[in-house]
Amino acid sequence: MIELQGIGKTYTRPGGDAVRALDAVSLRIGRGEFVAVVGASGSGKSTLMNVLGLLDRPSDGRYLLDGQDVADLGVAELARLRNRRIGFVFQAFHLLPKTSALENVELPLLYSDRASIKGLGRRALEAVGLADRIDHRPSELSGGQQQRVAIARALVNEPDVLLADEPTGNLDTRSAGEVMALFETLHEAGRTVVLITHDPALAAHCGRIVHLEDGRIAAAREAS
Amino acid sequence: MRTARLVRQSLRMMARSKLRSGFMMLGSLVGVAALTLVVSVGEGANRKMLATVDQIFGGSSILVFARGGGLMGGPRGEAVRLSLADAEALARELPAITDWDAQQGLPNAPVRHAEANATARVLGQTERTWNRGVTRGESFGAAAVAGSARVALVGETVVRDLFGGADPLGEEILISSVRFRVIGVLERFGTDAHGMDRDDEIVVPISTAMRRLMNADTIQAARLVVKDPAALAATAGEVTRILRERHGLTSGQPDDFVVRTSLQVQKIVVKVQRVLFLFLPLVAGVSLLAGSTVSASLMLAAVNERVGEIGLRRAVGALPADIQRQFLLETAVTALGGGLAGLLLGFVLAEMAARRFTLGNVFSWQAILLGLTAAAVTGLLAGVVPARRAARLQPAEALR
Repeated sequence: MIELQGIGKTYTRPGGDAVRALDAVSLRIGRGEFVAVVGASGSGKSTLMNVLGLLDRPSDGRYLLDGQDVADLGVAELARLRNRRIGFVFQAFHLLPKTSALENVELPLLYSDRASIKGLGRRALEAVGLADRIDHRPSELSGGQQQRVAIARALVNEPDVLLADEPTGNLDTRSAGEVMALFETLHEAGRTVVLITHDPALAAHCGRIVHLEDGRIAAAREAS
Repeated sequence: MRTARLVRQSLRMMARSKLRSGFMMLGSLVGVAALTLVVSVGEGANRKMLATVDQIFGGSSILVFARGGGLMGGPRGEAVRLSLADAEALARELPAITDWDAQQGLPNAPVRHAEANATARVLGQTERTWNRGVTRGESFGAAAVAGSARVALVGETVVRDLFGGADPLGEEILISSVRFRVIGVLERFGTDAHGMDRDDEIVVPISTAMRRLMNADTIQAARLVVKDPAALAATAGEVTRILRERHGLTSGQPDDFVVRTSLQVQKIVVKVQRVLFLFLPLVAGVSLLAGSTVSASLMLAAVNERVGEIGLRRAVGALPADIQRQFLLETAVTALGGGLAGLLLGFVLAEMAARRFTLGNVFSWQAILLGLTAAAVTGLLAGVVPARRAARLQPAEALR
């Protein structure tokens, strides 16, 4: 479904020096896979996540999404693809404050071209086990619950792939376990999940692990 | 569907973030309040000026002021020579003069009632009391003027100072140690265009003022009412000729009086108004600029504070145009809300200023129109730059 061919990304620092964040990254992710991208900070994994999530364009190489080169797409088409085909889960949750769980989950629906969005947000919250927290605000939820709301938001438009960037980075061990269990359930239900993390223990939950070092893929191996 | 959903969500979020929305309103609130205050007070002052002029001239008329014959700095000339007889003669000889009145008075006379002391301006007038009615009691008539009756009409400030606000009717007061009976209270006027409190005044029959208070047989001023404004200039010339003749002035001697027509004063009024109405747009511009600057910086701060939210919205499918529209909508709503609140605040402040300086009615449609326009322009100016900046944020950077 996702195919990266020789992707490179070069940033220009404000000082003027160029930074090679990604170099010759080639990667295929098939439908239904649960892939971990593991690397130390500065290894380029966030850049890879941005490229995969169509938030950033690569400097070189080709990104084929279902065989279509995304370099050909304009800003509006990329926004539509992000809206319908990609679900994001962030380390910092990125929930809107003072806004109910349901409304937070509905945010991607607002930007979709669906005629009716009724019931979809509630169903997504049910899928993450928060049916009884629909009207709670983020400040009234625990960290683990907040991240589950964020996962419901990522799921609400029925995307092809979930991109999770350090989803347990701000959570205690128990909540982290709950969130990982949720990802596993989603994977078992057939969803494609890409987990980006620095933590090999988390990566061990996944079917495949991709190691990034200094912007290059160091090793990719099947989980034992 | 999509647009309606997004607009509804933006409004809901603004309603929830009351503090932030309130802060964003500050810019247009301050600008519009300043504008409304200045325009309303300006209009009130203008009205006051017209009322003062109207009270002194009473429509179309000629004022004659007495003046000593001496020039400034020169030897002291003859004493004031304008007299009641002069005014009577002018009214008799010039058919254009339909009515007349005269005035003599003390600018600062000591007045007393029981233990209370004060000073007031004392005006001697005829029974045709210079366009000022009484609200309580009654005015004096021709008989009182003819008989130099010791009756007085007092202003509201005098009532307050001498009687502590109690009913003064029928009470006795001493003006420069002469006993008077209060028979009426003058209608309120407030401060005139010169800043003088016209309620700190006592009106008595002119004959009484001349004989008992001042021991004078001259008057300070006479008002000659000329119904037909077209006849004003010609009549003023005639007045000068007759007065010079009556005062025995030879052609080399200067006038010992000053003649002013209401037309001349009208010209001055128009000049003052022109200044006022040049001044207003200037003030409007300045408050607008100040308001826009404040709004824009608050909006920019809001954008900076919400970079994460913008990044998230972009990640879940918002177009740059959606982000721009959201921030423009927020500025428009807050500018309008702030503008309305600013109008209200401006009017309250103007009303307080009007009470303090007794300007009278300050409500002004012009101020409302200007205020709302200012709010709209403020919003537009303040909203565009931050909204465009928000829209230009790269989602990957905004989410960092």
